[in-house]
Amino acid sequence: MSGAMLQVDRRTAIRWAAALAAALGSGAHAVAAPVEPIKGYGTDPKLIDAKAPWPRILTAAQLRTVAAMCDHVLPAEGDAPAASAIGIHELIDEWVSAPYPVQQADRTLILEGLDLLGPGFATAGLSGREQALAALAAKGKAGFYARMRALTIGAYYTTEAGFKDIGYIGNQALDAFPPMSAEVKAHIDRASAKLGLPVPS
Amino acid sequence: MAATPYDVIVVGSGAGGGMSAYELSRRGLKVLMLEAGRDYDPLTETPMFETPDKAPLRDSPTPDKPFGYFDATIDGGWEVPGEPYTVAEGSQPFKWWRPRMLGGRTNHWGRISLRFGPYDFKPYSRDGHGIDWPIDYAELAPWYDKVERLIGVTGGPPMGMENIPDAPPGCQQPAPPPRAYEVLVSRAWASMGIRTRPIHAAILTKPINDRAACVYATSCLRGCSLKANFQSTTVLIPPATETGNLTTVTNAMVYRVDLGRDGKAKGVSFIDKRTGEHRSVTGRSVVLTAGACESARILLNSKSPLFPDGIGNENGLVGKYLMDSVGTKFAAHIPALEGLPPTNDDGMSIMHEYVPWWGHSLQAANKLDFPRGYHVEMLGGRLMPSMMLAGLTDPGGDARGPALRKAMRERYGSLIFMSSRGEMIPNDDSYCDLDPTVKDKWGIPVLRFHWKWGETETRQAEHAMKTFVELVDRLGGKPIGPVETDGAKAIQPGGSIIHEVGTLRMGKKSIQSVVNEHGQLWAVKNLFVTDGAVMPSSPDKNPTLSILALSWRNSAHLADLARKGEL
Repeated sequence: MSGAMLQVDRRTAIRWAAALAAALGSGAHAVAAPVEPIKGYGTDPKLIDAKAPWPRILTAAQLRTVAAMCDHVLPAEGDAPAASAIGIHELIDEWVSAPYPVQQADRTLILEGLDLLGPGFATAGLSGREQALAALAAKGKAGFYARMRALTIGAYYTTEAGFKDIGYIGNQALDAFPPMSAEVKAHIDRASAKLGLPVPS
Repeated sequence: MAATPYDVIVVGSGAGGGMSAYELSRRGLKVLMLEAGRDYDPLTETPMFETPDKAPLRDSPTPDKPFGYFDATIDGGWEVPGEPYTVAEGSQPFKWWRPRMLGGRTNHWGRISLRFGPYDFKPYSRDGHGIDWPIDYAELAPWYDKVERLIGVTGGPPMGMENIPDAPPGCQQPAPPPRAYEVLVSRAWASMGIRTRPIHAAILTKPINDRAACVYATSCLRGCSLKANFQSTTVLIPPATETGNLTTVTNAMVYRVDLGRDGKAKGVSFIDKRTGEHRSVTGRSVVLTAGACESARILLNSKSPLFPDGIGNENGLVGKYLMDSVGTKFAAHIPALEGLPPTNDDGMSIMHEYVPWWGHSLQAANKLDFPRGYHVEMLGGRLMPSMMLAGLTDPGGDARGPALRKAMRERYGSLIFMSSRGEMIPNDDSYCDLDPTVKDKWGIPVLRFHWKWGETETRQAEHAMKTFVELVDRLGGKPIGPVETDGAKAIQPGGSIIHEVGTLRMGKKSIQSVVNEHGQLWAVKNLFVTDGAVMPSSPDKNPTLSILALSWRNSAHLADLARKGEL
């Protein structure tokens, strides 16, 4: 089942074709040939052992920068792993490579931001990174970091490590749904009293 | 398929279709059920316990899967490739949700199962709007009892609330206790003089036969391989098939009811989606239950000299009085919910407590500027995290590292999401007809929608939003994002609540309706309708339970007539 097709503008198509030609060996193939549209996962994908079918677009250098940005947002702390240690940068690659409108808008924003940041960010220390991000913000490009941060947070907290860190304890089979524990009830009763809400006896 | 005609051809396999197949096959009739989508098996296909990181894009909504990757919907959504629909110029927006799978929407629905109340069957008699049903609550009540016992619906103790029928003892299953955030929110409602009560859900808290009780984890929207919730595919079709009287054919897109020279239905024509061929099959009677609008479309496309405008359309009522629920939504941050020890808030997916409509006495005292009402649904607490987490929990934030982790931990679980679901009065401007030019990929004319919310609906939406503002204030909280109190802007677009009913309404007189109280067409007596199309009104209660009850009652009547040779 074919999925949503990628809307490719002409400049992007030529850039991909050039990259394709370069990968195949210089001058061996015509550069101007149209590139096959990228497909989504379609309307009837396999839900178990799922895989995103589209190719990843980030270069190794871009991935390094993304990893450094993710770790800037969520470095390791105690038991909690750094974002790159659990593949958050890979998810961002999957995200910007996806052929859907939301992800395509993010792709434009993020590729531009990565371009502006340049390769130095990946190896900069904390103050170097902060300076680079401040410089971007001064150029009116703060939206790039804001979006990268939001995607990093979303991607991180949707993993087992993220669940542990934030305190999501669901996704467990229970024999029964328990009523509030005494501790939880005490909190809710205190909050109710403070708000002037009736507490049934 | 059989060489001799089937006794009944059932078009659709969802709530109406599954229930029709169940009743008719158990009554000894030979049934052919035709489903437009593919075969689907929740037992092997449901992604139980899969975490978001096991899905592309972390299970985020996309045009291919508008409710997320793991949502049970197959080959469906707001757009179905090759199967367009149009919206008339000048119409308000209308979106049409269609799945294409065995069991239809019953696989991915929310499982909210509220009985219509006595007022809901006589709306015109009560306030002069719309039209009365040809039956009353007392006639449908035994069928609600049967449905609830069969499919398993949680209840809670009888509460004697106005227009909210309590089930007789032994009908409903025990309700799970409320979540912590629901307790606090219920107290805020109570402070406004408004009572909450346990939701009625088609989710088992006690096993039935080989169906397990809920384990309070995976979202019902994915379906359930434990058979712990209601899906036509796990609850109705298997026992129907076991009778030996049901043949199910999938990838069969019915587009026309065929009539014999005697003016009775002799069968249907459909597209075999595997080959693209047009095929026909004969039966002694036909049940249309393809979903409200689709059933109307089939009748509109069934033209003949006897019915030049489509079967049953002599009075121009086919497609008319289309309704959807009035919906609003509202999100808020409640600081009082911060600092709780972690709780497992998965529960049975949907809210355990809800707010039935409380405004009858206010309306009787002329204190409200709209008739009818709405109920309130909620979500909140420690929901399984999603890619939206930052925007919800930390909008506009810039913390990083330890400060970010701390902020997330503190705020996570302190959001609530409220939505209203209310009654729409049928109006002359909301209906579907055939588009004069556009056809689907098989050459069949498609539906064109006409939609308009009335003031009765927009004022209701305004009331809901203002009520949410007051509720959140009492909770010491703050709305997330700007609050829209202009009802016309707050109301969710037509069709987007996915509760379409009407288009083939039932009635006492043929001049005012398409079908009689048993869903039997006035014009063609061996042609029945058993989906939401028959509803003359759209009460403030989700329609599925009532579709099941009506379908059972209508199918039982069809079987009675067949038995007596009166079809």
